Formats: sequence, structure tokens, C-alpha cells
Amino acid sequence: MLQIDNLHAEIDGKPILKGLSLAVNAGEVHAIMGPNGAGKSTLGYVLGGRAAYEVTGGTVALDCADLLEMDAHERAAAGLFLGFQYPVEIPGVSNLQFLREALNSQRRARGQEPLSGAEFLKLARAQAAALGMDAEMLKRPVNVGFSGGEKKRNEMVQMGILNPRLAVLDETDSGLDIDALRIVGDGINRIMRAPDKAVVLITHYQRLLDYVRPDFVHVLADGRIIRSGGPELAHELEREGYGAIAA
Amino acid sequence: MTQLPTNRMEAWRWTDLAALEAARATVRGGVPAIEGLWIEGDGPRLVFRDGEFQLDLSTPGEVSIEPIAPVTAHPLGSATAGTGWRLTLDAERAVTGIQIVHVATGNENHLPGLIELGRDAVASVVETFVGNGWTNRLTTIRLAEGARLMRSVRLLQASGFVSLREEAEIGQAASLASVFLGAGGASSRVDGELVVAGDGGFAEMGGALLTRGEQRQECAVTVRHAALDGASRQIWRAVAADRSAVSLAARVDVARGAQKTDGEQSLRGLLLHRTATVNLKPELEIFADDVKCAHGATVGELDRQALFYLQSRGLPEGPAKAMLTRAFVADAIDRIGEDAVREAFAADAEAWLSEAL
Ligand SMILES: Nc1ncnc2c1ncn2[C@@H]1O[C@H](COP(=O)(O)OP(=O)(O)O)[C@@H](O)[C@H]1O
Ligand SMILES: [Mg+2]
Repeated sequence: MLQIDNLHAEIDGKPILKGLSLAVNAGEVHAIMGPNGAGKSTLGYVLGGRAAYEVTGGTVALDCADLLEMDAHERAAAGLFLGFQYPVEIPGVSNLQFLREALNSQRRARGQEPLSGAEFLKLARAQAAALGMDAEMLKRPVNVGFSGGEKKRNEMVQMGILNPRLAVLDETDSGLDIDALRIVGDGINRIMRAPDKAVVLITHYQRLLDYVRPDFVHVLADGRIIRSGGPELAHELEREGYGAIAA
Repeated sequence: MTQLPTNRMEAWRWTDLAALEAARATVRGGVPAIEGLWIEGDGPRLVFRDGEFQLDLSTPGEVSIEPIAPVTAHPLGSATAGTGWRLTLDAERAVTGIQIVHVATGNENHLPGLIELGRDAVASVVETFVGNGWTNRLTTIRLAEGARLMRSVRLLQASGFVSLREEAEIGQAASLASVFLGAGGASSRVDGELVVAGDGGFAEMGGALLTRGEQRQECAVTVRHAALDGASRQIWRAVAADRSAVSLAARVDVARGAQKTDGEQSLRGLLLHRTATVNLKPELEIFADDVKCAHGATVGELDRQALFYLQSRGLPEGPAKAMLTRAFVADAIDRIGEDAVREAFAADAEAWLSEAL
């Protein structure tokens, strides 16, 4: 589904990704772990298509299509969802208005009929309820005044509404207490665990992986995947730290 | 008419006087359609074409057409003397939903308006400007004790220049709430002087000016607090695309005796392109010591992080920018209290956004 080959990317002329390769098949969950500053969020942004990041080498294919050729909104319509480490506050734009326009833009791009206001509202309410988010929060401006945990939960509500095929979730677990972590973990499994979908989970901690069991775990350090393994690698990292692995 | 101002005068340095001159040099031509401009409601409706009242297109109700001799020293406002429109309401009367459409077909036209509300009287007036040429207006407003006037004005002329001068005297506990939207292709100057003359009076003059191409729009507004316990709001939003410019000059004067004045002045500009300009000139002159005057003046571009967030969820660049710009402009347009009027103005802003972005 996702094929990253020898990806190089820089920001402001500073190389961050230095030859990163990763293959993700449908039905799989991959965890990416690594020290601060390794380039994990950069990977997410580059996959999402943020303009400030310049790709200087390598290829990325999503279902055989050249992802790097697409604009950010086209990547979303192609089925990519990026869960932000720091979801952005947008004063004056309500969650509902934003998500309805976003979903219908995606649907139009795929040649599907846009959802009516009533159909959309039903979908949004159901997804909010499944993630334990008060439906009133859907009417509020995007992430404004939300706590760290509420923002992350809102990311998952958005993912539920947009129903992507590939989710790249950047530290969705940070800022969550143990109850919220379980709800978010259940949400990821419910929305994304399917034979035709895949997840790349960027995380610092083993604890999210107790809820969303990865098929593969990779260590990202200094812009490259330096080690890959099964779920046991996450436990090893937790015990021994990145230093031992990278050495 | 009297001498036109020049850009060498401080109060007129940002005015697009070249556009004014070019507009008045045009010849009268086609008459734009106006049917789509009416907002739902059964209040009085008036149409002026090139400053002349169109009886056959109007149901003026309480509004009369008569000679008006404005008392003003304003260089453009004083050019309007002649026949104009007048709304005079006795105490406790209410006439809402008045709509006035001004159609210009070229060259220049001048028209005075007069609104006098008696004690506790209530009125709402919506004015819409369409067409081409130089359109010049003076509106004189006198509000007696407890009177309330809601005023919403939209500048939708396709080209040319629109100059508005507002002069208001607000009596004890009276309230003037006015919102201006510049969302056409004409350059403009929205010029006003509001005097809070009675204790507890409220004065609001704000709005959104949206420009693109080579267009220039500006507001130049002064609120004078001359009495106790007054409040005022000047909430202006400027959006400039291409090589256009918006200038916001807003001033609050608080006289020595005007204690407990509560003023708010918020001037914010948004540049949609690096080649555009927003000038801000906030001024406060306060001679009383027990006064609250919140003020802020900022110019910026669209938040790139917010833009990427919206795009990453599937919105193309244009709609994503429009969504953020709409939110920016809403601060000003949401001040309109009447739902149908607010929705109509929001739709005009929306139409502008979909063309500009
Ligand atoms: N906008 C930026 N300008 C310059 N350097 C940046 C910028 N964003 C991130 N970096 C640098 O890129 C490196 C990788 O950052 P990031 O991808 O956020 O790491 P991680 O998510 O793994 O902690 C860090 O050294 C960081 O300082
Ligand atoms: Mg990060």
C-alpha cells in the first residue's frame, strides 16, 4: 500500500530524512519509534505534503501512485490521513463546517456524491460518541480551548469521519491519560483495523502499543530506519533505551 | 463643487483620488440589475439611480424625499446638498427593514440622507451600492434619548469610487450600530464622525473592506466621547489581495468629563498576497482618567499551519484559504444583529472570496 524508498528531505536547507525506506502492506500496523529530533514528525509532514519540507531524493508510492506528485488535499482524497502531534487551533472555523467541507471535497475528488447536511451530522455525531467526545464540541471552533487530550481525541473523531485507508498518526498517545489512551486505542482499532487499511503509528512509548498491537516495529534515528522487528522490539526499546539500539 | 482634497492632506493621504477622478470622467451607460439585491422583509424599499429617486421602483413608506441642507464642513459631504431622503420618527415609533439601493451608471452622483429618531424610537436601514462611476453620500444621524438605529451598508459597485460620510450625534442612552462591507470592485472611502453626546450612549462603526486587483478602500472614522458612561466599538477587518490596498484609520477621542467611557478599537489586516498593502492608523486621545479603552492593531498573513491542517484533511488550497479568510472577516460581519441582513452580507463576502482566491 505504502512504499517509501530511500527518501531524503530537508527543511530550510537542513537535511532531516537521510535515506528512509519503509514498506507497509494493507492490513498491517507499523510502529515507528525513535528519539526526539530523529525526524519522525518530518516523515509525517513529508507524507502529508507540507510545502515547507523539500524532498531532495527518493520515492513514495501510495497504491502505485506517486504520492510526492500530489498536493496535500489530493493525498487526503487518495486515502491518506495525518494525525498531528500538535493539532492546530483554528479560531472562527467550527469543527462541523470544516469537516463537512473537507469530507465533501474528498468525495467530489473521488467522484462520489457529497453528503447532505443531515447525513453528515449523523455521521459526525456517531463518530464523536464512539470516541466519548461531547457532540457540543463539534460545534466549537477547531481545537480552540481544547485540552491536549481533547485535541488528540478530536484527531481520532476526524479520522473516523474521513475514514482513510492509510493513517499516519504522529504521537497520538502523548498527552492522554490512561482512560483516554484506551478510548483512542480502541478507536484506532475500530476505524483502521481492516484488511484494506493500514496504520503507521509514530510513538515514544510502548503503552499505546498495548492497545494497538503492531505487526512491525521500526526504530527511526537520524533520518533513517536503523532497525526493524516484531512487537518484541518495542519492549526491548522500553527496557534498554534508544542509545543501546542505535549504538 | 468645492475643491477636492489631495493626498498631501494627512487625513486623505491614502485615498484613491485617482480612482475618484477616473470614475467621474466616465459617461453614463448601462443600468445593472437590482432584483437580486433585496433582502427578505416587507419594510420600505427605495431605489436611487444616479442619485435620483425612482418612484416607480420604490415603496418608500416612512421615508420622504425632500430638499436637505446638510450642515457639514466635510469636503465631500458638503457636495451633496440638494434633494435627498429623510427618515424622521417620533418618539417610540419603530420602522425596521428599510432598504435603499443606490444604482450608479457612470459619471458622478451626490445625495444627502437624514435620519432623526425621537425618544426611544427604533429603526434599521440597509443600503446597497451597485454600478459604476463616482457615488458620493452624506448621511446625517441624530438619535434622541434611548433611540436605536441599526445601519448596514454594503459597497458592491463593480467599478468607480464610493465615498460615504457619516455624521452622527448620539443622545442619552441612545445607540447607533453600523457595519460596512466593501466587497465590490470600486475603490472607496468610508468616513465618519460619531459623537456620543448624551450619557450612556453607544456608538459603533465597523466592518470589513475586501480589495483585489489595483483597488484601494479605506475607512477614516472618529468617535468622540463627550458624555459620561459612553461605549463605542470600532471593529474593522481588512483583506487585501493582489496589488490592492486597504487603509484603516480609526480614532477615539475621550473628552475631559467623559468618565467611565468604555471604548474598543480593533483593527486587523490580512494580506492574501505579499504584493498587497494594509495600512493601519489607530489613534486614541483620552483626557478623562477613569476610562477603559481596549485597542489592538495587527497585520498578518494566513496562518500556514492552519492552512496545511485544512489541506491535509482534503480541502484544496483555494477553499482552505477562503475558510480561514471567512473566519477572519466574520469578526466584523457577525456584529450585524438582524439575521437576514447578516446572512446577505456574509454571502456577498463569500462571493468575493470565491472570486479572489
Ligand atoms: N521548521 C523547522 N526548521 C528547522 N529545523 C526543523 C524544523 N522542524 C523540525 N526541524 C528539525 O528537524 C529535526 C527533526 O524534527 P522532527 O521531525 O520534529 O523530530 P521528531 O518528531 O522525531 O522529534 C530536528 O532536529 C528539528 O530541530
Ligand atoms: Mg515529533
